[in-house]
Amino acid sequence: MSLFDVAFYVLAFITVGSAIVVVSSRNIIYSAFALLFTFFGVAGLYVLLNADFIAVTQVLIYVGGILVLIIFGVMLTTKVFDVPVKTETLHVGPAIVVTGAIMGTLFGVILKTKWFDILNVQWDGTTKKIGERLMTDFLLPFEVASVVLLVALLGAVIIARRERVKS
Amino acid sequence: MNFYNDLLGISPVLIVSLAGLIVVILEALFKKGETISYFLSIISLILAGLFAIYTYSMYSTAFNGMVAVGGYASFFNFIFCVGALLTILLSKDYLAKRNINYGEFYILVLFATAGMMFLASGVDLIITFLGIELMSISLYVLAAFARTDPKSNEAGLKYLLLGAFATGFLLFGIAFIYGSTTTTNLKVISANFQNYQNDFLFWLGVGLLLVGFSFKVAAVPFHMWAPDVYEGAPTPASGFMSAVSKSAAFGAFVLVFIFGFNGTNEQVRYAIAIISVLSMALGNIIALSQTNIKRMLAYSSIAHAGYILIGLASANELGKQGVLYYSLAYILMQVGAFGVVSIVEREENKALNINDYAGLGHRKPLIGVLMSIFMFSLTGFPPFAGFVGKYYLFASAVQAKMTWLAVAGVLATLVSVYYYLNVVINMYLKEQPAEVLNNPEQEKISISSAFAVLISAIGIFIIGILPTLVTRYFEKLF
Amino acid sequence: MIPLSWYLFLSLILFTIGVLGVLIRRNAIVIFMCIELMLNSVNLALVGFSSYIGNEIGQMLVFFVLVVAAAEVSVGLAIIIAIFRNRLTVNIDEINLLKW
Repeated sequence: MSLFDVAFYVLAFITVGSAIVVVSSRNIIYSAFALLFTFFGVAGLYVLLNADFIAVTQVLIYVGGILVLIIFGVMLTTKVFDVPVKTETLHVGPAIVVTGAIMGTLFGVILKTKWFDILNVQWDGTTKKIGERLMTDFLLPFEVASVVLLVALLGAVIIARRERVKS
Repeated sequence: MNFYNDLLGISPVLIVSLAGLIVVILEALFKKGETISYFLSIISLILAGLFAIYTYSMYSTAFNGMVAVGGYASFFNFIFCVGALLTILLSKDYLAKRNINYGEFYILVLFATAGMMFLASGVDLIITFLGIELMSISLYVLAAFARTDPKSNEAGLKYLLLGAFATGFLLFGIAFIYGSTTTTNLKVISANFQNYQNDFLFWLGVGLLLVGFSFKVAAVPFHMWAPDVYEGAPTPASGFMSAVSKSAAFGAFVLVFIFGFNGTNEQVRYAIAIISVLSMALGNIIALSQTNIKRMLAYSSIAHAGYILIGLASANELGKQGVLYYSLAYILMQVGAFGVVSIVEREENKALNINDYAGLGHRKPLIGVLMSIFMFSLTGFPPFAGFVGKYYLFASAVQAKMTWLAVAGVLATLVSVYYYLNVVINMYLKEQPAEVLNNPEQEKISISSAFAVLISAIGIFIIGILPTLVTRYFEKLF
Repeated sequence: MIPLSWYLFLSLILFTIGVLGVLIRRNAIVIFMCIELMLNSVNLALVGFSSYIGNEIGQMLVFFVLVVAAAEVSVGLAIIIAIFRNRLTVNIDEINLLKW
């Protein structure tokens, strides 16, 4: 077993373990912090997959942006007004049956499929390649993504601001 | 294609998004910018519609095969402009009535329209995905637009949670398709389609995409969000969501499943047929027991998703034309019907019961006649567009040797006669409530709203009598 | 050497956990976290495919997924705060003016 393999197992363990904590924890703050470890674990897996740009973006956007936003949400809706947060679960049985059925099918399909299992492509830095394609072939999606962000910004402001006083 | 041609090709989207950006700035600059925003949105949508007609004959793709241009895309761009225009005309008085008259409503409608245009013309799954998200995020905010109304907030939250959940499935589908085909471009996938016939991973991706799209068109068993969202959202926005965004999702559905995956295979088509039958059955049966007219229209919209899915299940020329024709007809009738609801509705979610329509046909003859036209067309009575659309869809099922599907459609239509006609009977044959008779000025109708519903009714009538006006554009789509 | 299918299994396990969380939890913010788990699992599958196939389209799609995830969370939390202001709860089973 090489060091690479060990790294994979450790990261996979961190990712799955903390994901389980996210779903099962009774304390919403624990969930939020477990999510942090999932994000870092996934970022580590990206590094193993030679996706340097995506790994850095994952840390910056997910950990630095989305997670902070979620923790803000938790703080704004629980601590300030001191309302008890219910974190129990609902209809566990049926949910497990449904997800089990779906995922069983998916696993089966993956087992049945033949794979190109060797990482035979040598990447030397993906950032340049991604940057070039974003400015050429993928210019349009890039622009659409910026419009999506603008709409989200506007939408969040419209909904969350205080009532405008109408004269 | 050079850059100028690319820009000309996507000019409808460009105009709508630019207008959205300008309205954002206007809203920031002027304290009472609502009226300016309103007129600017109307002008930009008319302009975009004209450009959609102008680019019809281009038949190409733009931006390195990212979006389709002309033909198919132009048709859908045009009908989205019509739907958005009607929505904006209807919403001005409604927003004033609900005391939420902010210009941001128009911005969101414009950006949602831009998202729909991308969605229905995306030849690359990345554009399809971003189009869906641009549309959905705008619609989440529109659903929650009445911020102080808990019902509206709740509609927004439910729509967002289930929409994001569906996005997960859709994305996983795209990931699997990318994994098996090494591309996201539908043209490339379509050209090499025979290579993937026996690829499990590919068909798994197709199945997950089917789940994602079924969520977006609110087909059974992925429909549970629709009635709540359409009931809680501001009424013109409900019409916009239930009709226009559904047509956009169907536009992408046809593009991906029929053009991209070459009509898919027997099993997937049967799966679509089953979803279609379930939607028609469940939507119509639950609609029978509804007393709130918005919920009734919401359940009937689930049934209509079922009718349109017939065209996808049969996946032949007639089915394709049926989906396109029905999309236009459905936008006109559903936005029109929700328009009448928004005119009749009063403050604080009042007058939304079907009983509140008692005697409306005598008090407001014009509105009564128009509402009857929408109800008859939604049912599928002959001179109106709903009939022609259903005829196309059912005929396509027979042609594809799925006669049982057409029979199910006809039976579902028969069930729907009851609840649609119930509204008409209420309007003409029931006693008027004394409370409304005593203060008639409660039901004032503004010119712009009346104009919007009138236009939809006339449109239904014209394309119902002369379907060739529309169908001749379906002969060459790409 | 780790084969691609292992990454895919890992991605599926994460996806399953996410779906399960969305179905069983009743706090809207926790549901958001579970949706983020689902999106992360999709991203992992995409990067895995992209690295083993040897083209960068998958990684670009991940970039767009990140954008969309950020957008959805910001709008979602805004709606949650608006609900909280009106009703003082963030539990979806208590938000029941409309039938769930």
